[in-house]
Amino acid sequence: MASTLFRTIQIHPFLLYPTAICRRRNGVLYCTMKSTQTQTATQEKQQPPKVKVSQHTQSKTPDKITRDYEAIIGIETHVQLSTLTKAFCSCPYNYGSQPNTSICPICMGLPGALPVLNSKVIEFAVKLGLALNCKLSLNSKFDRKQYFYPDLPKGYQISQFDIPIATGGYIDLDLPLEFGGGHRKFGITRVHMEEDAGKLLHSGNGDYSQVDLNRAGVPLLEIVSEPDMRTGIEAAEYAAELQRVVRYLGVSNGNMQEGSLRCDVNVSIRPVGQSEFGTKVEIKNLNSFSSINRAIDFEISRQALLHSQGHDDQIVQETRLWEEGAQKTVTMRKKEGLADYRYFPEPDLPEVILTQEYVDGIRNSLPELPEMKRRRYEKMGLSMQDVLFLANDVNVAEYFDATISRGADIKLAANWIMGDIAAYMKNEKLSINEIKLMPEELVELIASIKGGTISGKIGKEILFELLAKGGTVKGLIEEKDLVQIVDPVEIGKMVDKVLSENPKQLEQYRGGKTKLQGFFAGQVMKISKGKANPVLLNKILLEKLNAKS
Amino acid sequence: MGSRTLLMLTNFKFKSSFASSSSKPFYLVKSSPTIRKLSTKTRSSLQPPDVCRLAETARISLAPNEVEEFAPKIRQVIDWFGQLQAVDLDSVEPAFRADTEGDNLREDVPETFENKEALIASVPSYKEPYIKVPKVLNKE
Repeated sequence: MASTLFRTIQIHPFLLYPTAICRRRNGVLYCTMKSTQTQTATQEKQQPPKVKVSQHTQSKTPDKITRDYEAIIGIETHVQLSTLTKAFCSCPYNYGSQPNTSICPICMGLPGALPVLNSKVIEFAVKLGLALNCKLSLNSKFDRKQYFYPDLPKGYQISQFDIPIATGGYIDLDLPLEFGGGHRKFGITRVHMEEDAGKLLHSGNGDYSQVDLNRAGVPLLEIVSEPDMRTGIEAAEYAAELQRVVRYLGVSNGNMQEGSLRCDVNVSIRPVGQSEFGTKVEIKNLNSFSSINRAIDFEISRQALLHSQGHDDQIVQETRLWEEGAQKTVTMRKKEGLADYRYFPEPDLPEVILTQEYVDGIRNSLPELPEMKRRRYEKMGLSMQDVLFLANDVNVAEYFDATISRGADIKLAANWIMGDIAAYMKNEKLSINEIKLMPEELVELIASIKGGTISGKIGKEILFELLAKGGTVKGLIEEKDLVQIVDPVEIGKMVDKVLSENPKQLEQYRGGKTKLQGFFAGQVMKISKGKANPVLLNKILLEKLNAKS
Repeated sequence: MGSRTLLMLTNFKFKSSFASSSSKPFYLVKSSPTIRKLSTKTRSSLQPPDVCRLAETARISLAPNEVEEFAPKIRQVIDWFGQLQAVDLDSVEPAFRADTEGDNLREDVPETFENKEALIASVPSYKEPYIKVPKVLNKE
């Protein structure tokens, strides 16, 4: 498994995207990454300035050093599938259940129990393989990966070794704008099916540990990337895109915090221009996209420093843990040679056979994937910032699509969703599926403002009520008498009233204080209950102010 | 000869595992990460078993005299299977598996196992709600 990353010596496969694009100066080590659906691009820029300064003073030398080296990064991702039952038995799986309550002889590995494959696992594997543009193996098999560990009841893990269900794919993504943007394409070596182990907890006092087998036997898909990433941000965005894809497909909830998306990263460096790979280091314990980013950048610096000082022999093949608190990687125990898993074909499970019809059926049922959505939104004329936001969460994208399919103005719809609606969702901690404003009503709102029925300001006000309580735009306009006043005669009357009620200010205005126009406008707005059309109001106001003398 | 050597294998002291119940031999050739090339031309004789390593990886404790005793016996079993090396496979497509039946799949419908209490009761060391195990820090 470890050697598949270096099977092919790839020399600068993506020279089109030089690493200089990634500006290391903008506090990359401490950036917060977009890991939840509702963060907008503007929120990303709020980095603690204190940290930026300290990074500047230290960074000159390490920065220069790392530029002499090229980092080769590969990622192994485990995706926990959201099937109702486990891979090889009918036990249900629910995150957070009481320990050892979802067990049976099969997932406990008791004598005589035999595994029976869950058909959904194959379906999800094919879905993901197709979404990652892989070649599917119409015939594949399971193998036993044998090792002893307390959380592995059978003493082996049922996995796929030499004939995985999918191979040779790629994934497209766009880097976030705050990191320079840009399109990337990373290779996927393979995708295979396997089962999860139980959970091992180490007790406080050192002499024993505890095992919970609820998770034992839960289906996983392991995705191995080609070593195509070159920076921490590329790796983090790769993981984020995988999360997007599995959520779009509905095969997993892809949650790093819950453990349904786990990433192990392999990092090595080599002097720029060298064709041989350097020593590869594995990093574990990465619990968020930002950790992936920071851990890799740290590790690159660590290795580059050692190399530049002539101590590259101190870079050994090992597994290191990322310590979130200390913000650094530390050695786990050094490996005493490669593990021997003694793989052999799983005798208790038959071959996995896919027919072309089955595969085609699934291919035809695939939803529009994030990459396709982004390209479609780009073609519609939306800015990259809008595109990345709208396509990030499949539910938001669907909402947006529902709105524009009913004829709403594209840019306006995007602005409402990314602005006021997103802010509301964040404050109330709701997802877009939980807000009471229906896409149809958003369409109506946009049309009402565009058509002049209500003013933009009033629109924003009723939006809040629509989000919280629902209802229709037309209904609210009627109920609250919000129709904009556009009759010049009526506005004229209100202006006259305001001017006559405020003679002192009128005199000051005529005396030269032209700024008071705003004051008068505000007063007219007040008596019109905000309904006066602002443009018309100011036109008439100006006429009347400058007329009499 | 075959059945007698199989009987001797049952004298081993080890806890039951699926591998033993199906009485198939463990593959003693070191698994290589490259695609299997099972051709008769590359190996005409099989490697002698490294019994110590074998016992270590299978977590079976053997006294030195047992190692000496079992090495030739294991060798005999391997050589007996080694007769297969004589078969000419030049015109035969490698098969993934020995069987010819296709998938045996199950619908994704949850079913709770009725007698979970019995399962828990059979755990030798249980400290509610966890299974108590010795502290092991490193895999393998």
